[in-house]
Parts: sequence; C-alpha cells; structure tokens
Amino acid sequence: MTDYHLVIDGATTPETWSYIDDDAPLNDAPIISLGRLKDQADALRARGGKLGVVLQADDPDKTRGKTSMGEDVHELAPYLDMLSLVSIAFPIYRNGRGYSAARVLRQELNFTGELRASGDVLYDQWAMMNRCGINAFELAGDVSLETFKTALGELSGAYQPAADQQRGALWARGK
Amino acid sequence: MYRYDEFDHKLVADRVDQFRGQVERRVSGALTEDQFKPLRLMNGVYLQLHAYMLRVAIPYGTLRSEQMRMLAHIARKYDRGYGHFTTRQNIQYNWPALDQIPDLLDELASVEMHAIQTSGNCIRNVTSDQYAGAINDEIEDPRIISEIIRQWSTFHPEFTYLPRKFKIAVTGHVNDRAAIKLHDIGIVVKQNDAGEVGYEVHVGGGQGRTPFVAKKMNAFVPKAKLLAYLEAVMRVYNMLGRRDNSYKARIKILVHETGEDEMRRLVEAEFAKIDASQMLTVPQEEIDRISAYFAPPAFETLPADSDGFTKAQTADADFARFVRANVVAHKQAGYAIVNISLKPIGGVPGDATDAQMDVIADLAEHYSLDEVRVTHEQNLVLPHVQLDDLKTVYDVLAANQLATANLGLISDQIACPGLDYCNLANARSIPLAQEISERFADLDRQYDIGELKIKISGCINACGHHHVGHIGILGVDKKGTEFYQISLGGAADENAAIGQITGRAFTEEDIVDAIETVVTTYTDLRTDGERFIDTYNRVGMEPFKERLYD
Amino acid sequence: MAQHAAKGARFQAVTANRLSDGEVVYWAADNRWVEGFSEAEIADGADAAEALLARAMPADFEAYVLEPYLFEVLEDASFYKPASVRETIRAAGPTVRLDLGKQAGA
Repeated sequence: MTDYHLVIDGATTPETWSYIDDDAPLNDAPIISLGRLKDQADALRARGGKLGVVLQADDPDKTRGKTSMGEDVHELAPYLDMLSLVSIAFPIYRNGRGYSAARVLRQELNFTGELRASGDVLYDQWAMMNRCGINAFELAGDVSLETFKTALGELSGAYQPAADQQRGALWARGK
Repeated sequence: MYRYDEFDHKLVADRVDQFRGQVERRVSGALTEDQFKPLRLMNGVYLQLHAYMLRVAIPYGTLRSEQMRMLAHIARKYDRGYGHFTTRQNIQYNWPALDQIPDLLDELASVEMHAIQTSGNCIRNVTSDQYAGAINDEIEDPRIISEIIRQWSTFHPEFTYLPRKFKIAVTGHVNDRAAIKLHDIGIVVKQNDAGEVGYEVHVGGGQGRTPFVAKKMNAFVPKAKLLAYLEAVMRVYNMLGRRDNSYKARIKILVHETGEDEMRRLVEAEFAKIDASQMLTVPQEEIDRISAYFAPPAFETLPADSDGFTKAQTADADFARFVRANVVAHKQAGYAIVNISLKPIGGVPGDATDAQMDVIADLAEHYSLDEVRVTHEQNLVLPHVQLDDLKTVYDVLAANQLATANLGLISDQIACPGLDYCNLANARSIPLAQEISERFADLDRQYDIGELKIKISGCINACGHHHVGHIGILGVDKKGTEFYQISLGGAADENAAIGQITGRAFTEEDIVDAIETVVTTYTDLRTDGERFIDTYNRVGMEPFKERLYD
Repeated sequence: MAQHAAKGARFQAVTANRLSDGEVVYWAADNRWVEGFSEAEIADGADAAEALLARAMPADFEAYVLEPYLFEVLEDASFYKPASVRETIRAAGPTVRLDLGKQAGA
C-alpha cells in the first residue's frame, strides 16, 4: 500500500513500483537510489527486468561539495537503457531543480519512460511539472483526479515551448 | 507600443482567475500561509509592516495614457490615493486588502496590465532604457527584445521555482540608463561587422549583501538565438545555483564560486544543445510582428528650433532652469524628451498621487503621442514632446508640483521604502532623503554641485541601490536604533562600479552633516568641469575620510 | 520570520498582521486580536511571554492572522510603549505620512 494517489498520463493508476532502500533486496519493480545504480550497474544490467531510479534534489552527503546542489541528472545518461522509470524528488516544493532535470531527461537525453514527481508535489506546481515532461504524479491521498485535471487546465496556453506539445505563442502565432 | 492579442488577453485573464482561486483556498484554510506565500509573491503581493503591498508590472517602463489613468484609479479605489514608482520601473501600492486584490487585477487586465512575476523566485519584470525609441544613436529599440523576453519568461514552467529571484535588463544605447551590469542578466544591443543586430550578454551582476558587477559572458548572440542563450544560462543556474543559503542563492554567487570561465563553458555547452534543437529560435515573422509595435510613432516634420520655445525660456527663468535640468534632446527634429522629477524638495522619492497620475496621463495623451515612461531612478518621462508644446506642458507640471528641475542632481535621490513601510528594513530611508533634499534645497547650489547621485537603502538587500550611488547610504540597526553607513564611488551606468564604505556609521542626527562634509570636500577638491564621481576617481577615498572622521 | 524581542526583555506583547487586509493587530487579554497597541496584553517575564504567544497561536490561528511574534515593550511612567523603532512605526503608521495608518485616526 502507498499513501499517495498515483496518476499516470492523466489517469489514476495502481502503484506497481516500490522504493527500495540501498541495503534491501530488490523486488521485481524496484526504484533505487542513484548511488546504488552506479555502484551495482553491471549486476543490475545482468539482472535485466524492470528498474527505476530516484533522483534527489538535495544532496545530504554533500558529494558535490558544500553547496548541496543535488544529484546531477546527467549521471543517468549511461544507464537510461536499463531504466523504465525515473522519479524526481521534490524535497520541498520551493526547490525547483527537478524541473530542469525533467527537461534535460526528456529533451537532451531523450528518455521516453515514466517520469514521475515525488515528494512535496502540490496543486499549483502540477501544470508546470507536466509541461517539463513529467507524466506521473504521486499526489496526496485525498487529491481527486478531477482536482488534478482542473489544476492542469488553469492556464489556457503557453508563451514558450517546453517538453509538452504546446508550441508557445511566440512560435505559434501566424502559423 | 506592444498591444495584447487574444492570446495575451486570455492568459492574463486565466491568471487572475487562478489567483482568485488561490486567495479563496488560503482564506478557506486549504492552503497554509507557507504554501500560499510563494503563490501570492508571484502575483506581486507582499506583506509589509502596516498592510499588504501590491507591485504592478510596467514592462520595460512603458505606459500608455489609459494605463497611467488606470494606475491612478487603482490608487483611488483600492489604496490611499497614491502609488510608489520603484527602481524596477514598477509601481507599488502600500495598502490593498488581500480579498480585493483579485478585483483590482481584473481592472488592471482591462488595460493590458498585471502583477505577474513581480516578486518570487522567478524571472521578474524586464527593465530597459526610459529613453528607448526617443534618444539618438540607438542601435535598436531595446523594447523589442524586452517584449520577446517578457513573453518567453512569463509562466516559464522550468524557471518558476529558481534558487532566488532573477532580473534581466536591456539597453540599446551606449549610455546605460538601465544599470544592466547590476542585473542577473544584462543585455546590450550590438551591431556586428556585418551590420547584423545581436546582443552582448552580461551575467552575474547584482547588489544585496554581496554586490558584483556582471561579467561579459558572450560578446554577440545573434538576434534569433537570444532566447536559446538565455534558457541555457537559466538552466545552468537552476541546476547548480545554491539553495542552502538564500544570501548565496543569486546567480552572481554561482558565477563567482564557479569562476567566469567555467561558467561560460557550462553555458556554452547547454546553449549548443538547445541551439541544435532549434526549438527556441524565434521565427523571423514573430520578430517582425513584435518589432512593428515599436516602429517610430507618427512624428510630425518640424523645424529643429522653435521661436516660441526660445522666447518662453527668456521670459520665464524657472522654465529655462527646467529645460536645462530636465529636458533631453530627442532624435526627431522639433521634439524633446521631458523628465518629470518625482523628487520634490522634502517629498517622498518616487511617490505620485492619483491626481498627479491623471495629470500626467492627460499630458501624455495630448502632448507625448500617448506615452509615459518610468525610470529606474524613480522618475517619469514624457518621451515625445514637441518643442512648441514644452511651455504648456511645463506649466501644467508646475501647477501640480511635478516640475522640480533637479534631474541627476543631489536632491534626485533613489530611496527604498525603508522602515516606514518595509518588513525587511533596519532603518528608515525616506526621512533621510527628505532631510538631504531640504538641506540642499537651493537649486543654484544644486547646479553648482552638478551631477551627483545619492542612493539610500534601509537594509543590506539594497533596494535603494546604495552600492552604486556616487554617494551611497545604508541604514543599519544597532540595538533598535538607526545608524547610517556611507559609501563613495559607486556607479550604475556603463562604467558600473561598487562604492567603498567610508568607515564607521553615523547617527540619524549626524548623517546629513556628514553628507554635506562629503559634498564640500568634493567642491573644494574638484577641478574645472569635474563631476563628483570624476573627482572621487581621481583623488580616492582618503581626502573624504580625513574630513569625515577628523 | 525575524524575532524582534531583545534577549532579556522583561515586558513583551504579541503582534501579527490580519489575513484579510494585513492590518497590524495585537493579542488582547480577552483572547482576541485587536487593532490598537493600547489594548495589547503585556506579558511580564519570559515564561509569561511564551504562554502569551502560545495562547495567540491556537491550531487555527492562520485563518485569522499571519506570523504572530513577540516583541519587546518598555514601561514608561504609567503606560507601555514598543521598544524598537520598527514596532513603534507598526503601532502608529509611516513616519513620513502622518495622515495614514493607525496614527491617522488618533
């Protein structure tokens, strides 16, 4: 059981994945840390099967220096062929690093699997996350699908292209 | 001027509805204050000492007369009969009620205005040269690319929760009146050897606790690629900017800690990827469409001189002084640029009443081809006034306490709202500006002192630009009492520089005398024709220090 | 949110801004928010101040006000006054516009 309401591509969807601690055994649809992915890459590749990873926006171990920049999305590049899910963690909604991570994954690393938002994922951010290429949302348990769809439709258009289908007014006018 | 199309109108209306819903969710308890705060900030709603404050965007400082009239109406209906023009070319209202702000925003939207992204950790209102389209020797009207940037940055899904706020300024002239080197990104319109127009991009300037002059990141970005370049800068910043300490979260700190060369490498690498995708290359038809809005207005063909204008100056010495101080040459023969000082002696810098705003709107409609500009030095401009109309315009301004002839002089000070209004301030700014302006009230003395920019901030956030004042004043709090620190030698123009602190701070009682000491030190030491900043740059800090602390 | 009470302050009161219109309010002895500083309950000593703040912040306080906090008050002859310039200005209004704020009605 999860305590969130999972919405994928605009539909309520049962959770088939689980977040697995670094020292716990894998199940058949595990979401693991970037650290474990890098450490055990060869074994994981040999194992085959479904694999997901969670990308942290905070870096508690300060592996990238004192400035706590979070995990680097580019480090996923060598492993993307093994991954069918990337979960981008938003430790607090004000930390917007994950929006760039999502666009880099979709538009520069051409990741086509499930891209989800986990953590502090709130009403007023869903539409922007969606535009950045996130297609799966771990919503608070009491959020209805209807509320989710309302949030996504609050703004009727966009000025700029991102990782969704909208061209952006600067490009679409006169076309 | 740019006019909204159906798409622009709809999006602003959507945003008002969205904010109305957010206010309702806050009042109903569905949102906590912690959740609501960034949402209200992104609509320009702050909480100050006495009430909420609403900051309305004036993109690149350009207004039509009907928009100025709406600002007056809002001051009357939703506020206390006045507004405060800011260093970011915006206007702030100090007393709106939260539950009335959605209605206020509806009214603003009816004249193509809004408060979108006037606060919050997002890309803020783009600022520019107040003389755009009116001054000679401009490479291109900077409002064209400013409008393109405004649209690109509005509701940008990737850059709405940045590490910290982000400010972009543009100039199209070699004389920088937009302080572009003190912005997160500063853009200078340039022409290359082939005659093509593009942009020199400076990154990492800013004031606040740790001031920096921006570094030149790219000497020439072609016109159609500027958004791709800006998106690259923003992405590098959003991914690598610090989020552990809000005082170290601006891009200036990232540039400083990463190093200019490494920052350039990171930006260029990202730029190459975005540019290759072509997705942010703005179509020529859209550039042309937006450019057409900023085509020169319908100037009349007039002689370069006006007898009536010349005679009026001879007949009216006050008018002649106004012309000398506040009127600037226009690119079009027979026209002039008229600066309206919002710094009357003893007044609140940047404040205008609803009645004054209405008067200025009328003047713009009848005598300035419908346009008004807001300057980052908290004054207003009628950009296109015929020489033959100057005296009439002056008389109306004078009758409404709007004709103070002090542009660029010691009483034309920038001051933040300070502790009279602001939640962050440590000391008051406005009373100090008032005392200084009263001490130097004599205009002849001001003309003798010449160009001298005093800038006053009530705390280290530096909204009053004290770091870049020729004389900067910073208010500090010592155990609940106000003290004021002086810095000298700052500049916000094309020779941007951060001022140096003179030494220990002065009490409220002593600070105006100290400023006078600085000024007399300058007048004693200057050579013929030397401005304050020239003398300071020649003689340095020591002579001033000696006189201040003897 | 900055705290404005000096360490070791003897007298303190609780202030906040009202949610609907941002008006400066104070917590009064009869357990409600009032607009005038003169009606504010004054706590004597650190323990009393903490208790006062706790009373001003019941579970649903955010439905009425923003960011309540303690600030130092001085005893001056027969009445109390805010200790800092900041709280003096909040209690009265802008010093540059005596026609605005609470001082205007006084």
